[in-house]
Amino acid sequence: MGISIRPHSAEYAGAVLRFNQRLNAGGAEDWMQAEPQPEARWLPKKEGESLYNETFLAVENDEVRGSYVLKHQNFSFGGNQIHSIGYYHHPVSEGTIDKTYAPVGALMIRDAIRRQPMLYALGMDGPGKPLPQMLKLLGWKIWLVPFYFLVLRPFRFLRQMEIIRENARNRLLADLAAFSGFGYLGINAAHALRRMRRAAATYSVKCVPVFENWTNDVWHSGKIQYSMVAVRDSSVLKKLYPASEQHFTRLQVFRNDRVVGWAVIAQRGPKPRFGNLRVGSVVDCFAAPEDASLIAHAAADALKERGFDMLVTNQSNTAWGKAFKHCGFFEGPSNFLFAASPQLSRLLDPFDRTKVQTHFTRGDGDGLPRSF
Amino acid sequence: MGDARDQVLAIVADILAVSPEMLTGQSSPKSVESWDSIRHLNLVLALEERFSIQFSPEEMEQMQTIGQITSLVESKLTGTASS
Repeated sequence: MGISIRPHSAEYAGAVLRFNQRLNAGGAEDWMQAEPQPEARWLPKKEGESLYNETFLAVENDEVRGSYVLKHQNFSFGGNQIHSIGYYHHPVSEGTIDKTYAPVGALMIRDAIRRQPMLYALGMDGPGKPLPQMLKLLGWKIWLVPFYFLVLRPFRFLRQMEIIRENARNRLLADLAAFSGFGYLGINAAHALRRMRRAAATYSVKCVPVFENWTNDVWHSGKIQYSMVAVRDSSVLKKLYPASEQHFTRLQVFRNDRVVGWAVIAQRGPKPRFGNLRVGSVVDCFAAPEDASLIAHAAADALKERGFDMLVTNQSNTAWGKAFKHCGFFEGPSNFLFAASPQLSRLLDPFDRTKVQTHFTRGDGDGLPRSF
Repeated sequence: MGDARDQVLAIVADILAVSPEMLTGQSSPKSVESWDSIRHLNLVLALEERFSIQFSPEEMEQMQTIGQITSLVESKLTGTASS
């Protein structure tokens, strides 16, 4: 009997539970779990909605052998075209624990492309993982979205950051820098030098419980300058960052008395690469590119007040990258990939030029609302 | 049609990096160590290119052994594929 891909439905709830149990028992990574119920916990499908998740299952007889989620969302291209684009995320295959099912991964991607040819994938934990390798084989355009970081507590950074302590030599050097004080001086001097190159931004900021209609003006005045950006008007933002999700801080940013943009900040979920560091994240942000620096400063300053050890953000857009660098951020090694299907790539042609004019952040990823 | 079968076998052996003699109609990802998800997709794409055919997701659902893959390619070449 073959394997067929079907929309998740109540009849498969038991099979999904068994699938997840097999993945757990087989040692699959923690995130590799299929959505237990047909209705997605995050952004469920509702009548008339353009922003929603739907789950598909790879079914063999009465058992589930794979699962993926399609997030449907409207994107603006250059401000004058709106297209519904699919985001292929959370693909989970029994092939990761049982080679009998190695074909399931390829089958699910092909199925997703047929359902929504204009498709993208994001994150994926770096180019060496199976998913990006498969997408590359299928002719997708793949690009590493830049990662920026700002160290606020050098001692804890040098002692905790796993990525700089990967071998004995590096651990020794990091410990020497931490305990001698040279690390503190060096890191702070580097950040200060970067900030000095730019005059301090003058802004005022307000924490808001929900993104109201003022975000529509920000959206309409800024969207035209981005080659591809998910619609970020008030109705979308209320769904992505609802008032009920209190771990998000929503910032409304002003120049003089005029609203110029917004940012969403929060504590980053635990990741092995960050060790025990308390990491603050600029999850999402939006403004016209010329106002990016103001928003970046407001977000970074708000996070600094909250006592984090380090701040991080992913920004695909060059102007936003520069804005965070002006706040003292450095660009670091990224494992946050953006991949565009051939049909989507055509809307971004020439990709090498337009990719840096897109606006993707962690807010476009699959981890909301909890583990961005 | 024997020619197509031989060509399929040669492509499979090349992509999985094994000797054709080691493969049978029952060979599958379970029995061939190098047959992982990426090589499986590589195999699908190589067959599509070599024979100028396109596999639908429904057809890919049937590609779980070399025997099934060979039969599917042959049926597509003779225009008797079911999907």
